[in-house]
Amino acid sequence: MRELSLFLGCVAPNRYPGIEVAAKKVFSTLGVDLADLDGASCCPAPGVFRSLDKLTWLTLASRNITLSEKKSDDILTICNGCFSTLKDANDMLKEDPALKKDVNSKLAEIGHEFRGTQDVRHVVEYLYQEIGVDKVREAVTKPLHLRVAVHYGCHLIHPLKDSKLGLAGKPTFFDELVEATGATSVDYEDKMSCCGAGGGARTAILDATLKIANKKLEHMTEAGADCIVDACPFCHLQFDAGQAEINQKFAKNYNLPVLHYTQLLGLAMGFSPEELGIAMNTVDTSRFIEKVKMDTSGNEVCTIV
Amino acid sequence: MSSNIERCYQCGQCTAACPMAEQEQAYKIRRFLQMEKLGLKSEEPMDIPFIFYCTTCYKCQDNCPQGVKIVDGLLSIREAAVRDGNILPAHRKIGQMLMDSGHAVPGNEDGKKRRLQLGLDEMPPTVASSEKQLNDIKILLNLSGFDQIVAEEKA
Repeated sequence: MRELSLFLGCVAPNRYPGIEVAAKKVFSTLGVDLADLDGASCCPAPGVFRSLDKLTWLTLASRNITLSEKKSDDILTICNGCFSTLKDANDMLKEDPALKKDVNSKLAEIGHEFRGTQDVRHVVEYLYQEIGVDKVREAVTKPLHLRVAVHYGCHLIHPLKDSKLGLAGKPTFFDELVEATGATSVDYEDKMSCCGAGGGARTAILDATLKIANKKLEHMTEAGADCIVDACPFCHLQFDAGQAEINQKFAKNYNLPVLHYTQLLGLAMGFSPEELGIAMNTVDTSRFIEKVKMDTSGNEVCTIV
Repeated sequence: MSSNIERCYQCGQCTAACPMAEQEQAYKIRRFLQMEKLGLKSEEPMDIPFIFYCTTCYKCQDNCPQGVKIVDGLLSIREAAVRDGNILPAHRKIGQMLMDSGHAVPGNEDGKKRRLQLGLDEMPPTVASSEKQLNDIKILLNLSGFDQIVAEEKA
């Protein structure tokens, strides 16, 4: 069985732990063991901490990477922000010996050393490139008949653009993975736009960020989506907790469940909504869960239509 | 790091693509780049907090005909402002959370309850479960002077 170090970050384990569970179940089903990266900290967040003090940001990021170097596993992130920070930091330190020396002089104080031997991967990018859409489709036992508004999130696309992963251009990889579950990825206006939360904006200027999220929610609703699927717990928080804030502040009435891709794939693999933590969202997911249960129980009786 | 701001010729394609500018007119990335080019940053304190409105979505950078690394440039502008003591209170607070817990978003009661319901340990297997690892984080943060950056202003 292949093994990767699972980098949890902050929002998934501390607010949406269903994502942590879903990632482990889904990867285990696909033959990859996700091992805990004991002692990992905040990545630290790419927009806010990088703009407070770049060297601090780089030093803490490099410590997280050294935890996986000790185990010689590549790092798997389940968050776009963590992916951006760890991948950027890893690349910067691999390419700049002077910077690496500087950071290592700090890490030496706690007995760590950045060697630059590991890669940083993102869950969606890894599934697409290492497992493949066909293998993912083969692992689906309960195809989902859902209309999904896919949200790529900014920091999934942007580190990829400059990286050697070969996923640049107009991306369809996330949509392909969503459709491998049986769902339909619906097109909607401004699909590749930001959720509004990043860069330390959500914490500092909540209302302005909610206006950005509101626009996306409007377009997703217009497209008749049953749910939003993201690959970042911070976008997840912005769309889920943010939806309740938008409903209250801007007198809206959104009720769009938000799933991380690992939760969507988990459902399609036959795990229950309860064990994937889908009911733990702020937005009421009971009607969505009912629809999924009726839908997937029907599939067992009638598999070929 | 050089952010090649000197390549900017003020066409405004960055602001045109910016989702924040659409919502908040005071946020003008083009203006911040020009001020940085002219060395005016510290003379315009009224632009704080607007430099912190960027969500780092990279739309501006994608839209720039000159290939300016706009987001890197903005992050440097912010870093300089923070060095001058212009950190936003909300950012100071999450900086302090990082100092105290190793997480920008630390665990809370709801989160712990959810973890237990899902069959996970109450605390994640991160720095939240290890005093020693948290101490390592604090050593690194003190070494880089981060404790001073997020310290409360002296009255």
